[in-house]
Amino acid sequence: MGVVSTLLARRWRTIQLMAVVALAVILITGALDLNGHTSRAITAATYSPFYLLKTSVLELSQKAVESQQLREKLVDASVKLSLLEEARRENARLRSILGFEALSGFKIIPAKVVAVYGFELPTAALINRGWKDSIFVDQSIVNQEGLVGRVVAVSADFATVQLLTDPLNRVAARVAASREMGIVRYLTTGGMMLDNFPVQGTIEIGDQILSSGLGGVYPPGLQVGTVVSVERPEREPFCTVKLSPAVNFHSIEELFILRPDTL
Amino acid sequence: MIRIIPFVLYFLLLAMHQVIWKDITGIFGAAINLAAMMVILVAIYRTEMTAVWFGFVAGLVAAAGIPGVMGWQALTLAGIGLAAFHMRERLNLDSLNAKLLLVLGGVLVHNLLTLIIVRTDAFWYRLAVNAVTGAVYTTLVAWLFFLVKEKRITVRKIRSIF
Repeated sequence: MGVVSTLLARRWRTIQLMAVVALAVILITGALDLNGHTSRAITAATYSPFYLLKTSVLELSQKAVESQQLREKLVDASVKLSLLEEARRENARLRSILGFEALSGFKIIPAKVVAVYGFELPTAALINRGWKDSIFVDQSIVNQEGLVGRVVAVSADFATVQLLTDPLNRVAARVAASREMGIVRYLTTGGMMLDNFPVQGTIEIGDQILSSGLGGVYPPGLQVGTVVSVERPEREPFCTVKLSPAVNFHSIEELFILRPDTL
Repeated sequence: MIRIIPFVLYFLLLAMHQVIWKDITGIFGAAINLAAMMVILVAIYRTEMTAVWFGFVAGLVAAAGIPGVMGWQALTLAGIGLAAFHMRERLNLDSLNAKLLLVLGGVLVHNLLTLIIVRTDAFWYRLAVNAVTGAVYTTLVAWLFFLVKEKRITVRKIRSIF
């Protein structure tokens, strides 16, 4: 035993070198399928954690890219949705305009609102039609809802419209049902009113108020508003009649100029 | 047992290089031959048998993905470890250039033997594009290692530049 251990100690280096060569030869020849077992063991022990790490990092970066792309698509879709929503509203508006008919004796000239003026409530609007389109002062402006105002100033390509919301604007009007008359004006504090309507006159909440055509500015029969309240004070000759305007002056966009056929 | 721990860490580093860093650090087909470089470094700083066994296992780890060449790689790297150790014994390796020359020669031989083992077509092309450039690239990495190891580059020196 002592001889063997002495021999091993003396030849230890040679034995190790021979072991390395022998193992390598076994692996090279593929004997005992040592290659496959060794490969699987080394891969599982050393490669797998790093493969896992690598694939996780790659997946994460891929997810980040996908997330960014999805976010961009979401923004794109939101913008498209807004545009489609706007197109839907425009479509609805234009459909209601299609049902709008001109009064007899007038041509309707379509116009776009370029700008509106006024504090809190618009009182004037600039439209993209001028004297080149045969637009003149005092022509009536309407939309599909009713009477909007009248032209007060004209240039070559643009015209200024005084809206019914301007306190200086007056409309000779009558109650659609009773045909009794009054004057519509807009008070900054009180809203749209029907003035000069006699206390003994026939008027009720919900009555339609139309232009009467008297005064020579607005043609008769245009929708001006609806009665929302009526007060009949004692010892006063006139009622206090509040109206709800037929036109929503906050959303005027497409307007129509009523141009007499004779022009 | 504790003496084995650094070697286990070296093999894990080698596996990480094979899986993650090899592709990332490759430049126009030239890749760092970390296995050969580590075997030569172990031969420079450790004993003969440590270098041989380290080379053998490093060959197994480096070629774990290709079982057909595992034996050849183990034998080759064990041989390079042995040869590098004896070169170290016979040369004056205090010189940085001598160490770099040893690394360059060892890696080049390993790359050349690998090309022969895998029986590649386009042998000369691969020799020029992969083997030689890879050996130079690996030597550059070894040069950085020696600079740090011999404290020619330290954190304090780098800070003093800025």
